[in-house]
Amino acid sequence: MDVTEVINITKPSRSRGYEDEDDDSDIEMLGNNHNDGEFTNNNSSIVTPGELITEDPIWMKGHGTYFIEDKTYSSVAGNVSRVNRLLSVIPIRGRYQPETGDHIVGRITEVGNKRWKVDIGAKQDAVLMLGSVNLPGGILRRKSETDELQMRNFLKEGDLLNAEVQTIFNNGIASLHTRSLKYGKLRNGMFLKVPSSLIIKSKNHAFDLPGNISCVLGVNGYIWLYKTNLNNQNNNTTNINIHNNGASPAITRLEEESSWEIYSDKNDSNITNAIRSNITRYYNIIKALSFCELGITEPRIIMGYESSLSYMNVGSLIDKDSMETICQEIINNEKMRG
Amino acid sequence: MILSPAERSYLYDSLSQKPPIRPGARSDHQFRPLEAKTSFLPNSNGSARIRLNDGSECMISVKSKVVVTKSVTNLIDVDIDVAGFRDDSNFVSNLKYNLTSLLITNFPSQYLKLTSKYSFKLFIDCIVISHSSYPLSLISLATYLALKTTRLPLLVSEVNDEEIEEQPTFSDDWDNAKYLDEAFEPPIFITLGVIGTNLLFDPSIEEEQVLENGLIVSFYKDNVITPISNINLATNSNNSNFKGLNQKLIIESINLCNKYCPAIIKALNTLTEQDDEGDDDHIF
Repeated sequence: MDVTEVINITKPSRSRGYEDEDDDSDIEMLGNNHNDGEFTNNNSSIVTPGELITEDPIWMKGHGTYFIEDKTYSSVAGNVSRVNRLLSVIPIRGRYQPETGDHIVGRITEVGNKRWKVDIGAKQDAVLMLGSVNLPGGILRRKSETDELQMRNFLKEGDLLNAEVQTIFNNGIASLHTRSLKYGKLRNGMFLKVPSSLIIKSKNHAFDLPGNISCVLGVNGYIWLYKTNLNNQNNNTTNINIHNNGASPAITRLEEESSWEIYSDKNDSNITNAIRSNITRYYNIIKALSFCELGITEPRIIMGYESSLSYMNVGSLIDKDSMETICQEIINNEKMRG
Repeated sequence: MILSPAERSYLYDSLSQKPPIRPGARSDHQFRPLEAKTSFLPNSNGSARIRLNDGSECMISVKSKVVVTKSVTNLIDVDIDVAGFRDDSNFVSNLKYNLTSLLITNFPSQYLKLTSKYSFKLFIDCIVISHSSYPLSLISLATYLALKTTRLPLLVSEVNDEEIEEQPTFSDDWDNAKYLDEAFEPPIFITLGVIGTNLLFDPSIEEEQVLENGLIVSFYKDNVITPISNINLATNSNNSNFKGLNQKLIIESINLCNKYCPAIIKALNTLTEQDDEGDDDHIF
């Protein structure tokens, strides 16, 4: 029997080979153009906490900096960013900073007075107001006291949901809403977490992947992998047909689809083993991308999936070497495609 | 850690398949990959550090002291410190009790005997810097590595001191220090999760949340030994799946451990050998 089938113990190693070749291009691009000699550390735009950035008092101090006697220091480890006269440091790591419009995945931590508290990986829990969710059946009306009393029937502690950041209050707390059919409770899949700095914001954070899997790539680094809901697509077409015939009973799809089902805790009964193993494959690929500190995007996940198909045993993907191989392949692939 | 009902049932269904589909696609007997380093604390007789990819980390230091054999009750003392837990909490005292009793009952004390009057006493100090799943097997694997690489100074005085009153004296040269014993393989603990009729080695924190039961199996000298105990691995959560244990599964767990644990011991031994050879100072 092969030992590595059971356990893989390696010595810690400091450097990973590919870092020298491609030191995460996303960060590099931001940094390089600031080195124009005005800064004391003109050989690199990466600063560490307490490092002097500039002695020139002309700069306005932004986030991630502090000011002592006309000198600006960095308060975080990150890249110096300069917008006109505003000097700030963008931290490399750190908690997620919510911004309006972000598509995020969160977990309910508390049910409170007309609101839910949601863990979104930010400094403070976000709030989801009772008024910002869809009622079952899509009824459009003011939320009443009865709704308040049955808030736990909609969402309770531990429930996962995807939502959009509606506003940021001045105390930094994010307010969410789920007023769209693409938002709401999550089912039929698995949750995983990566550092939010690895998620690259894009137009679309929910997409279908090869192998009948869909993914919600929360901007906050919370990711939901689940079985693609085929009914959804079929419904779309039938609905359009109905509309064309002019015989549509519902004004919007909202009314038809958002019965109590949207708050159901039941998974589909027909999740096959093939789908389950595909989900674990994507799970491992995303873990690998995060291990190698590559930005996580839809094309990269798909490329990772394709190159992982050469591994018959998906379980071997958790080893450090295979994760690095996969990432190396993704980088090469991207280089070839330009 | 609290899972949503949908997550919980998805995970439960996946894990109770035959063979189980685990979140990282591991097979039922596959451990999570570990990184380990030994003999890096200059002031300790033996040390080891072990780390999981998710950041769980445990560090062990073994120190020795010469004691009059009669004056102490046992020659091994274990102390465990878990970040975020009080030293007198149930969690920490259970870990400590498990490890102490395993080592005291199975440690060959003749290795520690110096003269007819004096012995070494080993102090095993363990810090769990961070952990997600139940840390006992991590601690125990690290203890294995630390004990395996523990070196004790060479005794230069007379072994037989029954007639003559003599304090033991040791060689000044650290290079003469000896390992406990080349063939000595300390006992280890393995955690297993029970779900349906499946047994899962080294359950991760998500898996722990839906397990029906947990088993701690001890393994020494190529065989499963007692104690074999069961435990609810899901701490601080609302695990509603927890059930009684089918005795057939206990037998099966013994068979599985007898089958796969030698590989774990082998991997650990290979690592200590590698650490002996290479003198690279990468401890992080």
